[in-house]
Amino acid sequence: MIVVTTEEVPGRRVESAIALVRGNTVRAAHAGLDIGAFLKNLVGGEIEEYTKLLAEAREQAFDRMVEEARARGADAVIGLRFATCEIASGAAEFLAYGTAVKLAP
Amino acid sequence: MSAGEREPTREEILAMAYADGELAEGERREFEAVLATRSDLALEVVRFRRLEVLARRAAGPEPMDMEWRRLEAEPLHRAGRRLGWLLLGSGLAVLLGWCVWTLIAGDIGLVPKLGLGALLAGAALLFTLAVRARLRTRVYDPYAEIRR
Repeated sequence: MIVVTTEEVPGRRVESAIALVRGNTVRAAHAGLDIGAFLKNLVGGEIEEYTKLLAEAREQAFDRMVEEARARGADAVIGLRFATCEIASGAAEFLAYGTAVKLAP
Repeated sequence: MSAGEREPTREEILAMAYADGELAEGERREFEAVLATRSDLALEVVRFRRLEVLARRAAGPEPMDMEWRRLEAEPLHRAGRRLGWLLLGSGLAVLLGWCVWTLIAGDIGLVPKLGLGALLAGAALLFTLAVRARLRTRVYDPYAEIRR
């Protein structure tokens, strides 16, 4: 599965657009990680616990989007975008979306 | 092929193809029906997904990662962390115990006592179930090892 952020796949011709595909997830760190993150927040620097949490959410949302594109018979997803927001303290919501397309052979 | 290696079984090959999204619609449904009843096979799929997810990030560790590892290997740092968590956990357990004891032996009416008791017991039960569910499903999470 080719996934690009551009509106077309370089070197290939888009034959047809199938549908908007998306994948989302909300992941939380456990209380122990939150305590560690809170303490690091006091002294500055990278809060690795939350870097990891965001990365987990990003990859899971991405995979869910690709799964949907695959299930719809797409060859590629173009115009990939990520969106994130906080719906609960210490939780990361990630949304990955793009347009599933069929490429010309 | 060395003595320690063996040919992958048909199920392992199917699990790998499923994890990579390479099965045809019919094959995929058939495999998912088997997957629903076989936790060992589901774990195999998760193993392949985990490898695929980790392989996406080609960048190596950063210099700060090395320092983190060195820091975490220092006996003083490790002992300090253990002691910190132990004190924190103990303090929490003592405070919870004190709350429960105050509830039982305290001079409050029967109705608020029953209400608070039910509230605490319910919260403890739901929390235990949430922990149990997390522990059961954690092994099927291919994203748990992602670092950044």
